[in-house]
Amino acid sequence: MANFSAWVTLFFHLFYFSSAVFEDQVGKFDWRQQYVGEVRFAYFDAPSQASKKLLLATEKNIIASLNSRTGDLFWRQVDKAGPEGHIDILLVHGQDAVMVVGNGRLLRSWETNIGGLNWEVVLDTGSFQSAGLVGMQDSVKYVSVLKKSAISLHYLSNGHQKWVENLPDSDTVQYQAVYSGGSGEVYVLGVVPHSHLAIVAYNIEDGEIMKQTSVEAPWLSSLSSCVVVGTGVLMCVDSVSLYTLPLQSEEPAEMNQILLQSLGLEVAAGFQPVLVSTQPHPARSPLSEFFLRLGPDHHILLQLKDGIISPLRNFQPAILVSFATTGEKTVAAVMSPVNDTACSITLFSADSGRRLLDTSVIFHLDPNGGKPLRLHVHAFLKKDDSVGYRVLVQSEDHALTFLQQPGRVLWTREEALAEVVTMEMVDLPLTGTQAELEGEFGKKADGLLPMVLKRLSSQLILLQAWIAHLWKLFYDARKPRSQVKNEVTIETLARDEFNLQKMMVMVTASGKLFGIDSKSGTVLWKHYLQNVQPNAAFKLMVQRTTAHFPHPPQCTLLIKDKETGLGSLHVFNPIFGKKSHITPPVLPRPVLQSLLLPLMDQDYAKVLLLIDDQYKVTAFPSTKHVLQLLQEVASSIFFYLVDSSQGRLSGFRLRKDLSTELIWEVVIPTEVQRIVAVKGKRANEHVHSQGRVMGDRSVLYKYLNPNLLAVVTESTDLHQERSFVGIFLVDGVTGRIIHEAVQRKARGPVRCVHSENWVVYEYWNTKSRRNEFSVLELFEGTELYNSTVFSSLDRPHLPQVLQQSYIFPSPISTMEATLTEKGITSRHLLVGLPSGAILSLPKMFLDPRRPEILSEQSREENLIPYAPELPIRTEWFVNYNQTVSRVRGIYTAPSGLESTCLVVAYGLDIYQTRVYPSKQFDVLKDDYDYVLISSVLIGLFFATMISKRLAQVKLLNRAWR
Amino acid sequence: MLPQWSVSRTWIVFSSLFAICNAFSDMESGPGSAATQTNGDGFKIEGRAVVPGVKAQDWISTARVLVEGEEYVGFFRTDGSFAVNDVPSGGSYVVEIVSPVYRFEPVRVDISSKGKMRARLVNYIKTSEVVRQPYPLQMRSNGPHSYFMKRETWGWTDFLMNPMVMMMVLPLLIIVLLPKVVNTNDPEMRREMEQSMNMLNPNHELPDVSEFMTKLFSSKSSGKSGGGGKGGKSGALKRR
Repeated sequence: MANFSAWVTLFFHLFYFSSAVFEDQVGKFDWRQQYVGEVRFAYFDAPSQASKKLLLATEKNIIASLNSRTGDLFWRQVDKAGPEGHIDILLVHGQDAVMVVGNGRLLRSWETNIGGLNWEVVLDTGSFQSAGLVGMQDSVKYVSVLKKSAISLHYLSNGHQKWVENLPDSDTVQYQAVYSGGSGEVYVLGVVPHSHLAIVAYNIEDGEIMKQTSVEAPWLSSLSSCVVVGTGVLMCVDSVSLYTLPLQSEEPAEMNQILLQSLGLEVAAGFQPVLVSTQPHPARSPLSEFFLRLGPDHHILLQLKDGIISPLRNFQPAILVSFATTGEKTVAAVMSPVNDTACSITLFSADSGRRLLDTSVIFHLDPNGGKPLRLHVHAFLKKDDSVGYRVLVQSEDHALTFLQQPGRVLWTREEALAEVVTMEMVDLPLTGTQAELEGEFGKKADGLLPMVLKRLSSQLILLQAWIAHLWKLFYDARKPRSQVKNEVTIETLARDEFNLQKMMVMVTASGKLFGIDSKSGTVLWKHYLQNVQPNAAFKLMVQRTTAHFPHPPQCTLLIKDKETGLGSLHVFNPIFGKKSHITPPVLPRPVLQSLLLPLMDQDYAKVLLLIDDQYKVTAFPSTKHVLQLLQEVASSIFFYLVDSSQGRLSGFRLRKDLSTELIWEVVIPTEVQRIVAVKGKRANEHVHSQGRVMGDRSVLYKYLNPNLLAVVTESTDLHQERSFVGIFLVDGVTGRIIHEAVQRKARGPVRCVHSENWVVYEYWNTKSRRNEFSVLELFEGTELYNSTVFSSLDRPHLPQVLQQSYIFPSPISTMEATLTEKGITSRHLLVGLPSGAILSLPKMFLDPRRPEILSEQSREENLIPYAPELPIRTEWFVNYNQTVSRVRGIYTAPSGLESTCLVVAYGLDIYQTRVYPSKQFDVLKDDYDYVLISSVLIGLFFATMISKRLAQVKLLNRAWR
Repeated sequence: MLPQWSVSRTWIVFSSLFAICNAFSDMESGPGSAATQTNGDGFKIEGRAVVPGVKAQDWISTARVLVEGEEYVGFFRTDGSFAVNDVPSGGSYVVEIVSPVYRFEPVRVDISSKGKMRARLVNYIKTSEVVRQPYPLQMRSNGPHSYFMKRETWGWTDFLMNPMVMMMVLPLLIIVLLPKVVNTNDPEMRREMEQSMNMLNPNHELPDVSEFMTKLFSSKSSGKSGGGGKGGKSGALKRR
């Protein structure tokens, strides 16, 4: 027993050193970027120039406080994803940020300085309609929450409910808005579409109904076209007229109709006019000035005075308007286009429409970005009592730009990166000089002498570049360190000697593509695809790498609309982000499957095949050469299709005329189980060793079938006693089921990694209420059937399958295996945990040959004795305290060094690092002690010199004796 | 004294009975399945977390309470207390405090179908074992996370304490220093040393093991060594 435990501890110590981060490596080759997602609400902290806080609530159910000077996060709180954490509304009063979460489920108040909760209360059920701060006598004490059938008032200080009242006739009236103007009443506004408007006034103190009126409004369908202006006047708009209604009047009034024509206004054809008003303080009534949007680029500032509407100023063209208040002054910011690439933002006084001097800021539009969508203005009084401002511009592509007078961009945030869908890493191109050398080999030989001359000239260029590099080093060394900037630009991008720096091409759900330098995290290019549906699926493929020098690298993005299935291709250069001049084929029919063949056309672009719903194949590129090539190899091109709704897996073969024939079909009955995932192996994976040497010196050969698919199914019966998770290993060419495993009393979500000769999957054990890992390993046995080439059609023997399961003491979010250049380095599993940590778990722990009783042979094989629970050590967290929130995917890529694997984890945040699963065996470690080794060498050298001299003297003396 | 003792004992009996009952009811009820989630009457898991020596407001902005992964999420109040709302009854949940800086042990909270709560230690191997924890939860951090490995630094002490170095250095010291410290020419000293040797080796009749071994081996290989000697002799002769 002691021996056993000694072995265990020995192994632990071995791994202790295998994949940990040293403290001095922090930030050396890793970086993290934190995002919040598409902004829904933005508030500036205080109307003073020194204020730095910006409060954001986003579509990703996040509330965050940003430093408005740098754009960095002060704090961020990430709620549950999905509708349960959805932020319905954010209201800010002083240091408190009150929000309603999850369609009226919770009411929360945040302390915005600390980032902690003041209080949280559960609201009664009912779908959320509206909420507002309620004030009396210039102090804000309550918050009102309007649900579909009830209104409640809560204290702002502790969240306790003051009163709750049911709304009258809530089954017919749609209550949509709540208004309070500092008087002792809360008005609830509802509408019966195309019939009438209902107004209920509640007493703030006890919730008693003070007044209940109903006003005929047959033209009104929703209250979204209405605002409250001035001292409680409801103003609505339709395409021909404005309507006003004083809320506080005693007698049952009618809506006063004012034709837009009488004001000299006209709505743009087909445009629904919009009203914008502002209420600077919740305890006071709104301003009597308001904007009316008459067209996409036409706004007008109007004033309501004594029941008369008068235009103050006409803004055309003006694409965006916004109000901002500082102290007693309210200003209107107006963004109007200057030319195609720039817009100007100008402040106007709200009460007169007068233009404020020196307040113009030029906002440059990104030609590869989206249009501006909203303005958030932070106005403040300067020392000379004039109004200064900073402005946050929110764009269609989720980018945030923060501008300061006079037109300086303080920071930009690319919030589209909060939702990365897929990514690839592309090698950087060679430098000009390296390319020059390479180009020499590509050209046709033209005589001996010119070749020699060419070689000499290129060597000369290399020498020149080297001297220039030395000079730059010398020049930089003289400058103080702070001034030396290692700015990365597209021009200076070049591959480093170990190919550790790559271009990360990221595709986001909003349809914006990014090119990010993997070393520094700098966004080098971005490209916004304008007409991408919000629910589109993306698949990114590298058709041509940078290895074929005169031809530019080429990536192809397949964009598929999830509803119609129609696809389109976007072909671009991954290094510069430019759209390629090659016209991709038009895809008239829904795309079912795409596959990138290892075949290349004469320009070294890999051939992409797209299969439509009639099983017809489109090739891209489709030159004559490619078609000829495809005809030759058509009989050996197979592909599979998955129809999870019918539980059908089918295999096809390509015919010479680019039609297909069905070869096999496997039906998994959908009444019992449904297919949740189909995983193949990665195409760029290398396996170095064909087998494993056993303790008795025999070799256990791995079953390395490149066509193997792991099909994961979950039972349709979710009862905890009867639910199960199934895994099928199917050969993708022949349809042969190689192995089948069922995990009883288990349910999903199942995460699965399929690589080399193993499949690792994780599921939830319903009986023991824990997460479990299971590993399947396939071996051919001690003899190989055909050691030179693998063919799915000629493998008579089924592989031996070994399986083992383990307890994992944490839920997991995602899982991926490390990948290296030649596959010599041992593999690790990278496991993303909900806490944001990324665990690097050695594959050795997930080895089905782990023995229960340790024998001499298994000890020789370095097998760890079986233990039911897998360890989680914080030293194995590759991202130490740089947690990645809501990690959704981990991407691994090999580098030029065999020991090193590049890792990118993405979710809400993006984290890039390098991992060394078997330590850095091929380069000197970065803590290599140069001083010690050189001092020892020098010491030894001198010691020999001295002892030689001494020996000489001694010999001489002896000779004299 | 006596009554107090008996009272406490009965209390123990009661509490253990309660634990057993709960364990049984617990076995029947599974985790929050879809059916229990929809009925909406959720329960609240409450507690407080403390990091010794650190004010709550310095660490809560990066910390969260996760129940069963990210199934339910709770946030900290500014005083370090927390509540996770809308957790359905009739289930068992692992409550974890995640903070990038401080480490907390997870706790399993069982909510019976009637809404009774109890907390116990998480044991993934013996899932039905009950080691009670206080409820409302009292979570105490056991220090910061250790993410980093210590670099192996080179120091004189490490070098000298290395067993190989010790094995080399100590005999060297004895060989060099001992003859200098002990004056072997002094006859008195020599006699003393001989005596101490005799003390170590009291009965002369028994042959020394090492001597015996050398005799044994030398007798065995005498033929060979003789041959070697001859060769040497002949070589010497030639050289002459």
